[in-house]
Amino acid sequence: MKKGIELKINGDNHEVLVSPNNTLLEVLRDKLGLMGTKQGCDLGACGACTVLINGEAYLSCIMLAMDAVGKEIITIEGLEEGGALHPLQTAFVEKGGLQCGFCTPGMILTAKTILDEEEHPTEDTIKKKMSGNLCRCTGYKKIIEAVMSVDEQTGEGA
Amino acid sequence: MRLPKFRYVEPESIKEVSTILLDEPGAKILAGGTDILPNMKHRVELPSVVVNIKKIPELNFIQQDNGAIRIGALTPLKKVYESPIIANNLSALSSAASSVGSYHHQTMGTIGGNICQQNRCKYFNQSQWWRSSRPTCFKAGGEICHVVNKKEICYSSYCGDVAPALLVLNARIILQSRDNSREIPLYMLFSGNGKAPLNLEEGEILTEIIIPGKAKDGFSTYLKSANRESIDFPIVGTAFWGSMKKKEYRVAFTAVDRKPLRGGSVEDFLKGKDLSEELIEEADQIASKEASPVKTSIYSPSYKRKMMGLLLRSAIQEAMGRGK
Repeated sequence: MKKGIELKINGDNHEVLVSPNNTLLEVLRDKLGLMGTKQGCDLGACGACTVLINGEAYLSCIMLAMDAVGKEIITIEGLEEGGALHPLQTAFVEKGGLQCGFCTPGMILTAKTILDEEEHPTEDTIKKKMSGNLCRCTGYKKIIEAVMSVDEQTGEGA
Repeated sequence: MRLPKFRYVEPESIKEVSTILLDEPGAKILAGGTDILPNMKHRVELPSVVVNIKKIPELNFIQQDNGAIRIGALTPLKKVYESPIIANNLSALSSAASSVGSYHHQTMGTIGGNICQQNRCKYFNQSQWWRSSRPTCFKAGGEICHVVNKKEICYSSYCGDVAPALLVLNARIILQSRDNSREIPLYMLFSGNGKAPLNLEEGEILTEIIIPGKAKDGFSTYLKSANRESIDFPIVGTAFWGSMKKKEYRVAFTAVDRKPLRGGSVEDFLKGKDLSEELIEEADQIASKEASPVKTSIYSPSYKRKMMGLLLRSAIQEAMGRGK
């Protein structure tokens, strides 16, 4: 049975009518038009659908939309401030940390949780925590370089 | 992939959860969701009601209680391995929790959910389309096993990482239902029946894990061999606990049988002995005979048996301070 729920996404409240079997990913993309969050494997194995739930990296394809009520949801669209890209986004562009771009939103959001928790993560930490974000163009080296470059400048922009 | 249809409820107390489970035989618990939701997308689990228990606040905690460590079933795996009490005293548990799936699964997944995960098999954890090319297997509701040609037995393997670590730490668990609460050793939870891997009575849920204080008096570790270093289920996982002073040792394996197994013969062999290179050789041989894995994954049973021995070898070497 459909139910009206309120989701707090990127700081704004959105009222949306959802079924119990709608995943958060389906609601973000199909009902709210937030296409930045990607549908990859749709089984929680590839990380393309990563969003932040109360600051933690979650897989929106294996999370029920109804379960996200009352939580702070951040998607890739929520990172820019006043038209300026987040330092991580700029770093990915400048370091060539993306090829086809499909894994990029998930990569950037997972990287954000790492930098939010640790100011200077080691390369090993980054590799371990981002291992659930798959890049089929296999451009991992430049992705890690991009994350490291933001760390070096302590979040002041790449 | 759409999820199948179900009724969704968010009870706020354990009593309420238990009542729903008693009233609705088709109801299933949702905690982190990283196991059940992919299975539902594959149409191998079709609950009539999904009971989201995350609204019960009192099940997310790590406490010390007279030396014992008590962990609420809804504690996220990340919180488990980041907890200094656990990281400093129970390294088998922290390595096991940090080896589950990817980082995302560790933030979403809970310790209780990890223990109670479904058994796995290469013929079961597949999409409906993939499975449609052959008769439905026992575990998915059919009448045949594609792994072993025996009637009425499902050979799916238990592949949890956390359970073997908790087994060598001699963990106990609390199961609660509407009218009852009981404390049992963790090993009694596992039935060894691939089709219904958990010994839960009707209306019962796992609420707490208790690790006795004595577990802190020994060295412990969990070693896992997986396809990719970080994001996969174990091909084989081996947990080891040892007290060099008392010369007591405990060993457990995962992904080699229908339930996580204690290595009884290898424990008996090691008991009362000082760890040494010669001992490792023999322990390796004995460990590789502790289980009879079948081909539920792409890895052959003989490979799994060899890995059981090799992982135990590394664990003992680590214990002797010669590993990493």
